Amino acid sequence: MGFDLNFGWSGSIACVQLGATKSEGGTRRISYRIGGEKTLPFLEKIQGSSSPLITLEICDNPQYWSPIVTNYCGDMVHNSGEWAHAAETVYGADMVRLYLTSTRKRDFSDIASVGTTIETVLSGTGLPLIIEGSNEPKIDSEVFLKCGEAGQGERMLLGTAEAGRYRSIAAAAMAYDHSVIAQSPIDVNLAKQLNILLKEIGVSRDHIIIDPYTGSLGYGFEYSYSAMERIRFSALKGDADLAMPIICSAIDSLTVKEVRESEPAILDDIAVQWEFTTGLAAAIAGAEIICVRHPRTIPLLRKAFGSLTPGKIAGGEG
Amino acid sequence: MRTVTFLPSYRKIEVETGSTILDAAQRAGLNINVVCGGQGKCGKCIVYVQSGKTSFDRQKYGRFFSQDELARGACLACETTVESDLQVQVPESTLIQEQKILINGLEATIDFHPSVRKYYVELQPPTISDPSPDLSRLLWGIQKNGGPAAEKMYVPLEVLREIPAILRHAEWKATGTVALVPGGYRLVDLQENDTAKRLYGAAVDLGSTTIVVYLWDLGSGKVVSIASNYNRQISCGEDILARVNFARKNGLSKLQALATESINAAITTASNTAGIDREDIYEVVVAGNTVMTHMLLGIDPAYMIAEPYVPVVRRALSVATGRIGIACNPNGGLFVFPAVSDFIGGDIIADILACGMSEKEDISLLIDIGTNFEVVLGNREWMFSCAGAAGPALEGGEVLFGMRANPGAIEKITIEPDTLNPVYTTINSLKPRGICGSGLIDLLAELLCTCVIDRTGRINTGIANPRIRTGGHFPEYVIAWAAETDMGKDIVITENDIKNLIMSKASVHAACLTLMKQAGITRREITTIYFAGAFGNYINKKNATIIGLIPEIGVDKIINIGNGAVTGANIALVNRRKRKTLDDIACQVAYIELNAESSFMDEYTSSTFLPHTDLTLFPTVQKILDSCRIAKE
Repeated sequence: MGFDLNFGWSGSIACVQLGATKSEGGTRRISYRIGGEKTLPFLEKIQGSSSPLITLEICDNPQYWSPIVTNYCGDMVHNSGEWAHAAETVYGADMVRLYLTSTRKRDFSDIASVGTTIETVLSGTGLPLIIEGSNEPKIDSEVFLKCGEAGQGERMLLGTAEAGRYRSIAAAAMAYDHSVIAQSPIDVNLAKQLNILLKEIGVSRDHIIIDPYTGSLGYGFEYSYSAMERIRFSALKGDADLAMPIICSAIDSLTVKEVRESEPAILDDIAVQWEFTTGLAAAIAGAEIICVRHPRTIPLLRKAFGSLTPGKIAGGEG
Repeated sequence: MRTVTFLPSYRKIEVETGSTILDAAQRAGLNINVVCGGQGKCGKCIVYVQSGKTSFDRQKYGRFFSQDELARGACLACETTVESDLQVQVPESTLIQEQKILINGLEATIDFHPSVRKYYVELQPPTISDPSPDLSRLLWGIQKNGGPAAEKMYVPLEVLREIPAILRHAEWKATGTVALVPGGYRLVDLQENDTAKRLYGAAVDLGSTTIVVYLWDLGSGKVVSIASNYNRQISCGEDILARVNFARKNGLSKLQALATESINAAITTASNTAGIDREDIYEVVVAGNTVMTHMLLGIDPAYMIAEPYVPVVRRALSVATGRIGIACNPNGGLFVFPAVSDFIGGDIIADILACGMSEKEDISLLIDIGTNFEVVLGNREWMFSCAGAAGPALEGGEVLFGMRANPGAIEKITIEPDTLNPVYTTINSLKPRGICGSGLIDLLAELLCTCVIDRTGRINTGIANPRIRTGGHFPEYVIAWAAETDMGKDIVITENDIKNLIMSKASVHAACLTLMKQAGITRREITTIYFAGAFGNYINKKNATIIGLIPEIGVDKIINIGNGAVTGANIALVNRRKRKTLDDIACQVAYIELNAESSFMDEYTSSTFLPHTDLTLFPTVQKILDSCRIAKE
C-alpha cells in the first residue's frame, strides 16, 4: 500500500513469557510470548504475531461469582480443577485466570489451602495460569508467597499489584520467577508510576503486564479505552516504562444494570454481548490479554480476532 | 453581660450571654489561632474553661481532644458559648506565635526618583503693586525652586482653605508638598516654615499572614526603619477564602478595619523606631494580593471567590490615605498595586518588578509559594501567569505535626542513611514542637533518598527500624522521640502527611509545566528561577528540586528574591518611572486559568510522583537517587 504501518515509531512492547512447558522448566502444555509489537494492534505484518489471548476467569469459591456464569457452567464451579479443565477442553480458552475468592472470607487463615487449590488447577489444565491473590493486605504477603511457591517454574502471572500494595506481590513474583499484573486506575501517568515503582524494587520489564483497569461498557469503558490507547502510543513512541503488554478484564460486565435486568430468556445473550463488545474494543485499543467470565464469549472473540488477522489462525496456539 | 477572664494574662472582657469564647478573646485583644475562620473545623483554638458555665458540643468536637484534655475543660473557643462569668485558660499553643518574618527584600539598587517632593519657599508678601493671589504666588515659588510648572499643579479645596492663614502666620515662609498622582501634580499639603527634610514614605507588603513596612526618608533616599506585624485579619480566618466568607457573613467593615489597623500598627512601630512623626509620611505604597487590597479599600470581594472569578478592579489605584484610615498625613497618597486577575495580585506584580524579569530578554520563571501559589513565566516580550491552591501542607497545615515557622519548628533535617536517624535543627534551637515548610521539604527529600518512602511517598513498612511503624491509621516515620520534644509526644510524619505534601508540590510543578507548555518552551530555556516569598528563603534548593517542587534547571540558577512584594513596593515608592510601568506589566501578563486548562490534570497526576513520572525532566535528580540506592544496597 506504500503506507508506513509503523508511523516512524521507535519503541516496541516488551516480550513477556506466560507459562512454561516441560522443556522450559514447567508443566504447561503450551506457553506464550506476548508483546513485541512495534505498531498498533492488527496492523502488524510480522509473521507469527499472535492475536490477543482469551482468558477464562474462574474462582475457588463461587459464592462470590456471578450466577449467570455459575448457572451456565453448572456443578463444575465447585471444583476449580474441573472448571479449569473445561476452560481448556470445552470452552477453548487460551489461558485460565484463577481468582482466590476463598481468601475473601472473614479472618481467612488457611494459607495451605491456597497451595492445594493452585496445584489442583495446575493439574486440571495445561494452559498457563493467572492467579489473583487476596484482597486483604494483612494476608497478602503469605498468600502471594504461597501462590508463587505452588506454581514455581510455571511462569504464572500474579495479580494484582497497585501503587498502594505492590511489595509483597513483587517479592513473591521475583522469588519464584513469575510475572506481575500492575493495575492503576485508568490513568496513563499512574500506570507509568507503578511500573517505575516495580522496576525500582527489581521487577524486570519483561515480567510486567499493565492493567489500566477496565470499566464496563457504558460504565466508563471509554476512559479505559483512551487510557489503553495513550499507554500504547507512549510505548510505541519510545517510553520504555509503558512498553508492556496490557491485560483487560471488564469484571463488572456481568453485573451492570442492563445485564442484570434483562429478560431471563436473553440474559445469557446480553451478558455475552456485553463481554464481547468490551473485549473486542479493548483488543483494538491494544490489550494483549482479554479476560472473560462467560464461556460463550470465547468463540465470539476468537472469530472476531480471526477476521482482523487475516491469514492466521487466531489464538496463541497458532 | 458576662465577664470573661482570660488566663494567664488576666485580661477581662464583658460580652453578651451566648457570645462565643473566640469572640470574647478577639475583643480582649488575644490573637487566637483560627485556621478555619471559626467554623469548628481546624481544632486549633483550644482553650480550657476553668470555671463558669458554657455550652459546647463535646460529642461533635470530641475528636479534637484526648479524654484527659476533655476532663480538664478543653473546648474549641469558636464553638463554645458563654453562659455565665468565666475563667478561661488560653494555652500558649492556641495563640498566634511570633513568626519568622522575612523583611530583607532583594538588595537591589534602585534609582531614587520619588513621586512626592517637598519645596520650601520664601515668598514676597503681596502689595498693591503686586496683587497676585496667594495661590499663584505659592505655585510660582514652588516652580522657581525646582518644582513642576505652576499651571500644572492642582490644589484641592482642603489645602486651598489653609493657604492664606499659613502663609501669613509664617510670614510667607512655607513648605509645600507636591505629589505626582495619576491626574498630574497635586499640592497635597502646606506647612509653615521649612519642613522639607521631614518627608517620609512607607512601602507596605500587605500579606494575608504578615505585613511588612519599610519606612523611607524620601528626602535622602534611605530606609530609616523596618517593621513587621501580623495581619490581624487572621482572627477572622487564616486563609483568604475563610476571610471572604467571614466578610459575607459579618460584613466587610471589620476586615477593612483590621487591615488598616495592622498596617497602622506596623507604620507606628516603624515611625517610633525611626523617631519620626507619622504626619510626615506622605505616601504609602501597598502591594498585596487582589483580595487583600480589595478588603483594604473596602471593596466587597464576595464575587471574587466564585466563578467566573472576576475582581472589581485591576488597575493601580491612588487615593488619599485619610479615606482609608491609614495613620499618616491625611492628605498623603495611598498607592495600591495593580493586579492581573483575582489570583495574580499586586504582590506578584511587585515580585515581577523586584526580580526584573519583565525587562530581561532571558526567560525567567517566578514562583511565589504560600497556601496559594503563583507562577509567572516569561521575559520582556511576553509573560504567562497562573495561580492555584498548593494546600496548606507546605506551610505546615494538613500535616499532623506541621506548623508555621515559629520557634521550635524543625526547619532543617537530614537523615543518616544507615541508621535512619535524623539530624535536625529547630528555629531558635528550642526543643522541637513540629515541622515547618522548609523542614518538610528536607524530610521528603531525605526519606526518598534513604528509600524509606517510594516515589509515590508510601513508607516501606518492611524496613526493620523502630522509627518506621504503623500508627493509628497510617504508617509513619518518627522524627523525634517524645523525650526530645517540647510536648513529650513523638513527632512523626505519616504517610497521609506525605501524600498531602506530594499533592501540594505536584500542583506547583504542574502549574510550571502548564505555563511552559503554553509558551512552548522546555526547562532548558529557562535561565533563572526566582523564588519569592518567605518560603523560598528558607528552603533547601537542592531538596526542592529532588522532590520535584520546581523544574530541574540547576541549583545555581535558582535565586531567592525573598520578600518580592515589599521590594517591589519599595521600588514603586522611590522610583516614579518604575511605578508608571506597573499598569503596563499588569496588562502584559496573560493569566492562564488552570481549571480551564484540560492538560493541567494530566500534568498534575504526572507530578504526583517524586520527582516526576517523566524522569527525563530530572536527569540530575535521577543520578542522585540512583547513587543513593546503590549506597543503600
